[in-house]
Amino acid sequence: MTVFSRHGVTRRTLLKSSAAAALGTLAAPSLLRAANAEIVIGCAGSHTAWMEQIVAPHMKSAIGADILFEGTKSSVNLEKMSSNKDRPYLSVVQMDDPVMIQAVEAGLLTPITPDAVPNMTELRPDAVHLDGMWCNYVQPWAGIAYNTDMKSGVASWGELWEPANKGQVIIPSLQNTEGVWTLFAAAMLATGKPFSEAQYEVDAAFAKLEELNPNLLTVYSTMSQAFNLMEQGEVSMLAGNFSSYTLPRKAEGVPVDLAAPKEGIFAMPSGICLVKDGPNPELAQAYVNEMLGAEMQTQIADFATSVPANTTVKAGAIVPDGVQIHAPDWAFVAENRAAWIDRFDKLMAV
Amino acid sequence: MIARLDRISLLAVPALVFLAAIYALPLMMLLAKSFQGPEGTGISAYIEFFSDPYNLNVLWRTIRVALLTTLLALLIAYPTAFAMARANGIWLTVFLVALVLPMSLGVVVKAFAWSILFRANGALNEFMQWIGLTSGPIRMMFTETALVVGAANVFLPFMVLPIYAVVRQLNASLPDAAASLGATPLFRFTHVTLPLTLPGVVAGAAFVFSLSISMYVIPSLIVGERQQTMSMLIARSFLYLRDETLGSTISAILLAIAVAVVLFSSWLAGRLGARQ
Repeated sequence: MTVFSRHGVTRRTLLKSSAAAALGTLAAPSLLRAANAEIVIGCAGSHTAWMEQIVAPHMKSAIGADILFEGTKSSVNLEKMSSNKDRPYLSVVQMDDPVMIQAVEAGLLTPITPDAVPNMTELRPDAVHLDGMWCNYVQPWAGIAYNTDMKSGVASWGELWEPANKGQVIIPSLQNTEGVWTLFAAAMLATGKPFSEAQYEVDAAFAKLEELNPNLLTVYSTMSQAFNLMEQGEVSMLAGNFSSYTLPRKAEGVPVDLAAPKEGIFAMPSGICLVKDGPNPELAQAYVNEMLGAEMQTQIADFATSVPANTTVKAGAIVPDGVQIHAPDWAFVAENRAAWIDRFDKLMAV
Repeated sequence: MIARLDRISLLAVPALVFLAAIYALPLMMLLAKSFQGPEGTGISAYIEFFSDPYNLNVLWRTIRVALLTTLLALLIAYPTAFAMARANGIWLTVFLVALVLPMSLGVVVKAFAWSILFRANGALNEFMQWIGLTSGPIRMMFTETALVVGAANVFLPFMVLPIYAVVRQLNASLPDAAASLGATPLFRFTHVTLPLTLPGVVAGAAFVFSLSISMYVIPSLIVGERQQTMSMLIARSFLYLRDETLGSTISAILLAIAVAVVLFSSWLAGRLGARQ
């Protein structure tokens, strides 16, 4: 007989109670999650500001959903989806087109249909991919960000290579989607061909990229740190940056601007998709429908200085006049990206 | 007695089950994966890894940075541990708080703070120019020196605390006894104090080396993608190259180095302890 039993509590009862309490504690998050109609969204780290300030409050009132979001790189989102393929926990993912292609090939997505997501019928035709496997929602434009205390502008992609800019340039790694812009600019400068043709001249691109080494302070995979270095005047130029990041900072009074070089700028491929067999599918479809609707598109496009994909919306980024916007062959990028990353890392290593 | 010991040892079962499920099993899976190449089971992934000069360069950089970090941390920690052992009351509290409190800060914050200090217009460059050591800003960011300094700062407590624990138990009369026999201060240090504190040094060095060789966030923020380390190669293999075999192989190599260091330090600490 234990001390407990004298007070009416046997050891067995105590063990049972403890086990029940432990199970209850472990089960609580999923019970609460089900009760609160919560969905988990995978998105980019740079989406955090507008996901917090615009999307989450809107979704709570419009579809009654609590939004949990995980901001990271597209490749990390893909890995999360792939690793949890049998028991997905993400319902919707917002990531870039080349990674969407990989996700489709891995069978990780389920199509977005007009029946479930009526607002997709209002999108530009080029914003719907592979019969609705994913859609572009807003598209920032990408050029060269620069510190306005150090430069008055960047007229050409070639300025990145000018000897006067030794140690004054940061470029993205090819691990980041925006890394391909510098690669394509190198191809264009090396071959003299327009972007649409130059993007396939990979050997020429890498040879030209190697010539950029003396001008590089570093190659980033964490964009916020690189941007901070440019803001602080450690470098004067940040290649491949985009309107949704640079222009809001400029509006806050930070001495930065985004240049649209004369050879052209690029359309960032921001996509949204439904995760195959993801939790709460109806709520996920409602979320995507809202994201593609006029109200969300207006707010996000304005906040993130981006071009809306919904044709009924007149808001967002003003694309610079007289400069061509290029959209690359993402299937070609997706097919070759792993090999390019390996080659890039070895080429740019010090 | 034996039955009682066995029952007490059962208390370790939850920890063992936890470690087996969360740590040992995934490690075994990782190790198994590293031997699975496109042509079946074998060591082809290891041969491929070691035949690429880029990988060897990264491996050597990782080991070199870990060694230099350990050395720098030791140089700072050893006198600090003695000062702490001599301190009493409020001063000891100050030492301990100064050492332990920064551990509550995230490593990202500390690495980012160092990246600010190392800038061309950062405090370090301005100080060196102010005292006349340099005439203009020198490049410190994105250098291996910056990485070693930043890592040594982050891992310093793991070197100080084991040495401090040993120094505190040091019999202060032993160096005095050596002095009474005519030993010089240098002789007393090299033949009495240092040997007695070596077990703490070995333990601290093992901690700092293991942490340094596997660090990921610190090199990512301080030296960036152009000076990759083994941990960065692992992330790159899994996330961007989507090559699980390569990622598992690099992880297994890194693990083998860390295990070798731990085993060697245990053996060394045992020998040093036995000699005393």
